[in-house]
Amino acid sequence: MVTAAEKVSGHKWGMAVDVDRCTGCQACVMACQAENNTTLSTEDVYRQKRTFAWIRIERYWYGEFPDVKARFIPIMCQHCENAPCEPVCPVFATYHNTEGMNVQIYNRCVGTRYCGNGCPYNVRFFNYWEPVWPKSLRNQLNPDVTVRSRGIMEKCSFCVQRIRRGVREAARDGRELQDGDIEPACVEACPTNALVFGDYNDADSRVSVMRNDDRKYTLLDKLNTFPNVVYLAQVDATEGATGGHE
Amino acid sequence: MATSSLIADVTDNRPSNQEATVDLAGEGRTAASSGLKLFLWALAAASVLGFIGIAFRFINDGGRQEWGYYAATLAFMMTVFGGAPIVAIAPAIAKANWARPAARIASLASIATAMTALMMIPLLFKLPPLTVFSEALGDDIRRTSIWFDSPDYAPHFWNVLILLTLALAGLAMAYLMALPDFAAIRDHGSGWKQRWGKKLARGFHGRPQQWEWLKMRIGVTGAFYFAILLFANFTFSIDFAMSLVPGWKDAILPFYHTISSMQAGIAFTILGIWAARRWGGVSKYVGHEQMWSLGKLLLATTLLWFYFFYSSFIVFWYGRTATDTLTLKLLVSGPYIYVFWTVFLLAFIAPWWVMIWNKVRDSVWGPPIAATMVLIGLFFDRIRLYVASWSAEPDNLELAKLSMLEKMPDTVWPDVFDVFIMVGLPAFGLLGILLVTRLVPVVSLWEVQQSRLITKPIRFMRTHVMLVGKPD
Amino acid sequence: MQQRRILDEFTINRELLRGNLNTPKWWLPTVLGLLVVVLFGFTLMGIMFNKGVGVTGLNRPVYWGLFITSFVFWVGISHAGIMISAILRLTQAEWRRPVTRAAELLTVFSLMTALFFPLIHAGRPWRIFYWITPFDFSRGIFPNPRSPLIWDPFAIGTYLTGSTLFLYVALLPDLGVLRDRTTGWKHSFYTVASLGWRGNPRQWRLQTVAGILLSALMLPIFVSVHSIVSWDFAVTPAVEGWHSTIFAPYFVIGAVHSGVSAVVTMMALMRWLWGWENYIRPEHFDALARLLIVVATGWLGFTFVELIFGVYSLEAPERALREMQMFTWPWNLLFLIFFLCAFAIPVPLWFFKRVRNNIAMMFWTSILVNIGMWLERFLIIVPGLARKQPFVFTWDSYTVSYLEWGLLLWSFAWVLMLMLLFSKFFPLIPLFETKESQLFTMDVKIGRANMPAVIRE
Repeated sequence: MVTAAEKVSGHKWGMAVDVDRCTGCQACVMACQAENNTTLSTEDVYRQKRTFAWIRIERYWYGEFPDVKARFIPIMCQHCENAPCEPVCPVFATYHNTEGMNVQIYNRCVGTRYCGNGCPYNVRFFNYWEPVWPKSLRNQLNPDVTVRSRGIMEKCSFCVQRIRRGVREAARDGRELQDGDIEPACVEACPTNALVFGDYNDADSRVSVMRNDDRKYTLLDKLNTFPNVVYLAQVDATEGATGGHE
Repeated sequence: MATSSLIADVTDNRPSNQEATVDLAGEGRTAASSGLKLFLWALAAASVLGFIGIAFRFINDGGRQEWGYYAATLAFMMTVFGGAPIVAIAPAIAKANWARPAARIASLASIATAMTALMMIPLLFKLPPLTVFSEALGDDIRRTSIWFDSPDYAPHFWNVLILLTLALAGLAMAYLMALPDFAAIRDHGSGWKQRWGKKLARGFHGRPQQWEWLKMRIGVTGAFYFAILLFANFTFSIDFAMSLVPGWKDAILPFYHTISSMQAGIAFTILGIWAARRWGGVSKYVGHEQMWSLGKLLLATTLLWFYFFYSSFIVFWYGRTATDTLTLKLLVSGPYIYVFWTVFLLAFIAPWWVMIWNKVRDSVWGPPIAATMVLIGLFFDRIRLYVASWSAEPDNLELAKLSMLEKMPDTVWPDVFDVFIMVGLPAFGLLGILLVTRLVPVVSLWEVQQSRLITKPIRFMRTHVMLVGKPD
Repeated sequence: MQQRRILDEFTINRELLRGNLNTPKWWLPTVLGLLVVVLFGFTLMGIMFNKGVGVTGLNRPVYWGLFITSFVFWVGISHAGIMISAILRLTQAEWRRPVTRAAELLTVFSLMTALFFPLIHAGRPWRIFYWITPFDFSRGIFPNPRSPLIWDPFAIGTYLTGSTLFLYVALLPDLGVLRDRTTGWKHSFYTVASLGWRGNPRQWRLQTVAGILLSALMLPIFVSVHSIVSWDFAVTPAVEGWHSTIFAPYFVIGAVHSGVSAVVTMMALMRWLWGWENYIRPEHFDALARLLIVVATGWLGFTFVELIFGVYSLEAPERALREMQMFTWPWNLLFLIFFLCAFAIPVPLWFFKRVRNNIAMMFWTSILVNIGMWLERFLIIVPGLARKQPFVFTWDSYTVSYLEWGLLLWSFAWVLMLMLLFSKFFPLIPLFETKESQLFTMDVKIGRANMPAVIRE
C-alpha cells in the first residue's frame, strides 16, 4: 500500500522482528528508555499500573513439562497503515505521515486517551503525572527528544530523531541513504540482531527481504491494521514453525 | 363542571350500531363478485406455480445457493404477515381507539403467517450441519450458530417448535379477535355463513363474564404472539441468514428484522384498508382516521428502519476489521449493490419523502402509495440478505473457523422457478387471507360498535372534536 | 382509577406557585448543604487540574473509568425529558402533563453535568477548546470530524440547546402568570423573561406550534445523542465487547429506562417536598410504571441479544471477557447487583398495581434502576479495557480512587442544587398544562360506568 505522498517522500519505514533470534535480554527496552526520555518506571509507578515501555518483551511459555520453552515477542508501536488510533483522535494529535509512520504530535494532544483505547496492542502511554527524574539523571536526557509534559499520550516514534538525522547527514555528505544507515535505539542495542529497521520502498533492504519471508506474520491481523512492523515466526527444530501469536 | 358551557352536542352522522350489524354481519354483505372470483382463481394459479417451483427445487437440488430466493421469499412473507398482527395488538394494549376498525385486517394476516411458518420447516433441512469434519485439522469444526454447543438437531428441533408456536399463537389470536363477530353472523347472517358462525362462535352471547374472558384472552394471546414473533425473528434471522456467512456478527439483525416486520405489517394493513374500501364495501367504517394514524406509524418505522440499518453499517464501516469489511462487501457494496440501492430508495428514501407531507398522510390515497413502495423495498431487502448469505458457501473450513469469508460469491440471479416461488408463495398467503374474509367481516363489527359506544362527536368552543372515553 | 380532581384556576395558581411566591422552610438549609458538597466537588476538580489525571485510579489498559461511566449515565438520564415531553406529547398521552417540566429540566441539568466529565477527564483540560470548538484558532487545524469524540460535543450541544429552547417555550405562559403576581425586581425579571406574553390566541397558537415542532425536531436528536455516545465504544474493534452493532439502540433504550426512572424519583420528591398531592397523583406513577415495564423488557431483550452475540462467534477472547464480566470476582458481584437492580427486582414489583400506586415503593424501585444502569455502563466500559486483546502482559484492573467517588457524589449534588435553585424562580409543574388538562378531560357516563374521557383533534 504506497500512497502518493509516500512516493514523494520516497521512504516507507518499517521494522522486522525475528522472534527466533530474540533472547528476551531487554536491552532494547533499556536503550529505548535512555534514548527517548521516557518516564522512569519506578516501583511507585508500577504499583499505579502506569509503567512506560515504548517497547516491551512479552514472554510466553509453550510445550509440555519438562520440555518447556519460552518465546519472547518484542512489541512496540506497530505503525499500522490502517491505524485504529488515528481516526479517533479529535484533535489530529496522532496521524499518519508521508513515510508510513504513525506519529504523535505532543503539542496538539489534549489527553482524551481515546487513541489508547483504540490501540489493540496497548503501546500508547499516557503521562498521568508531570515527569520527574532524579538529579543524577537530569543531564542524561536526550536533547533531540521532547520531554513530554503531563496529560498527553506518547508512544514509539521509530526514533524519528535518528531518521531525521540520518537523512540530513546523507544529504550533507551528498550520498544515497544506505540500508542500515538509520537504526533506532532498540535496533542498535539488540545483541542478536533480532530487530531490523529499514525502508520498505527499497526492495533490496533487509526489512523488505524479511517481509517476504515465509515465516512472516503480523500481530492481530484479523483487525486489518496492516502493521509496518512484521514478525518472523520462531523456528523449532522439532516442530517446525510454530506460527503466529494467537 | 366549569367546562361544560364550552361543550355542545352535535349530530352524529356515523352509521348506527344496527346499520353496522347489517352491513358487516348480515344481509348487507356482498357476495363474491365475479372480479373477486377471477382474482382468487389467479391467486390460486400463481400458488400452484409456486409449488411447482418448490417441487423443482427439491427434485433438482443444485446446492445451497439455489435456495436463496426461496429463503428470501419466506423471510419476506414472515416479515409482512408476521408483523401485521402487531398493528392489531399494540394499539389495543395502548388503548388507542383509532386502530379498532383496522384490527381485523391486521389480525387476519396471521393465517398467512401460519402458512409461512409451516413452509419454513422444510427449509431447515437445507441448512448446513452444525459440525463438519475437517481433514486438515483432523477434528470436528463447529460453525457459528446461536445453538452453541448443543446437539446437531438443535436448529431443527427448536425452530420447528418456535414456528409451530408462532402459527398457533397467530391463529388463536385471529380467532379470538373474531369470536364476537361469529356470534353476530350466527344471529344476523344466513345460509352457510350462519352455520359456520354458529359453529365458531362457541356459544358466545356477549354476557359480561364472556367479554371479560375474551378481553383477557386477547390480551394474553396478543402479548404472547408479540413475544414469540420477536423470538422467531431472532432465530430465523440468525439461522437462515447470519450464521451461514462466516464472520457475520451483527447483533442488531434480529431487531432489524423486527422493526422492518412492523414496517411491513403497517404497510400491509394500509394496503388492506385501501383494498377493503375499494372493493369490500366498508368505506363507511374504515378510512381516513386509520390511514392518518397508520401513516404516521409507517413514517416512524421507516425512519427506524434507517436507524437500525445505519447503526450496524457505521460500526462495520468504521471498525474496518477483516470480517467487517467482508460482511459489508457481501451485503451492501458487493454482488448485490443494485439490490441494496433499490432497498434504500424504496424502503427508506421514497416513503420518507412521500409520508413527510401532512397532505399525503391526511389522505386515503397517499399512505397506500408509500406502503406499496415499502413492501417492494423490503422484498428486495430480504433478497439482499438471504440470497447473499445462502450463496456464501465457504470452501475452506479452517478459514471459516477463523470467521473469514474466503471468497466473495458472485451475484445469484433468479431462474424461472425462483420467479415462480417469488410470485407464488405470497399469492398463496394472500389467497388464504382472502378466502377467510368470505366468512369473517374485514372490519371488526364488535370493535366498531364498541368504539361507537365510548366516542362521541361534540362541539368544543368553535371546533368539532371527538370525545374519547378511556375505559380501564 | 381514581376520580379526577376538579380544581379551579385560582387553586392551581396558588398551589403550584407555592415554591416561588413563598420559600419553604427546608429550602435554604438544603440548598446550602448541597452547595457545600458542590464546592467540595469543585475543589476536587481543582486538585485534578493542579496535579493531573494521576490522582484518579486510571491506569494503562483502563484509560477510561468512572468519569466516562458517569458521563454515559448522565447523558442517559437526560433522555427522560424528551421521552416524556416529546414522544408522549406527539402520542397525546394525557398523563404526561404534570411531569413534562420536571422531565425537561432533568434533561437540561443532567446534560450540563454530563458535559463536565469528559472535559475534566482530559489530560490537559485547558486545551479542550481545540477539541470541542469547530474553529481552527491560530493553529490552522479544525477538529477531526472522523473522531466520535467530535460527534459527541455536536450532538450534546444540539441536544442541550434544543432542550433549553423547549423548556423555555413551555415556560412562557407560566412566566406571564408570575409576572402578574410579583412586585419589585422579581416583577422586572419576569417581565423581561416572559417576552411580552399576554396569552392572546395568536401567542397561544405560536407557542403550541413551536412546542410541536420542537418535539418533532428533538426526536432525531434524542435518538442520535445516545447512539453517538454508544459509538464512542462500538467503533473501536480493538476492545473486546465494545465492537457491537447493537450498541446504538441498546444504549438508547437503556437511557430511556434510566431516564424515566429518574423522573419517577423526582416526581416522588416533588410530591413530598412541595405537597403537590393534587397534581402528582398515584395514577401518574401507575402510567409511568407501565411505560417502564415495556421499556425495561425491551431493554432486557437487547441485553440478552448483546450477551448472546458476545459468545456467538465462538472466539476465545470474547468468550473469556464475557466469563470475566459475569462470573469472575469482583465483576460477578457487580453483575449480580446490576441485574437485580436494573431488572430483576423492580420490574416484577411493577406488575402489581399496589406497588405502582405506592409512591414510596416507586421511589425506591426507581432509585434501584439507576444504580443498576450506572453499573451496566461500568460493566461495559471497564472489563473490556482491562482485557483488551490477548496480550496478557498488558492486562490489568482498575481501582476507583476516592477523588472519583467524590466527583460522582458532586454530580448528584450539583443536579439537585440546580433543580432547587430553579424551583425557587420557576414553577416545577406547568400551570398552563394543568389548566388545559382540566379543560380537555371530563367524565362521561356509559351505561352504568363512569369513565374519564379525553378530547381529541
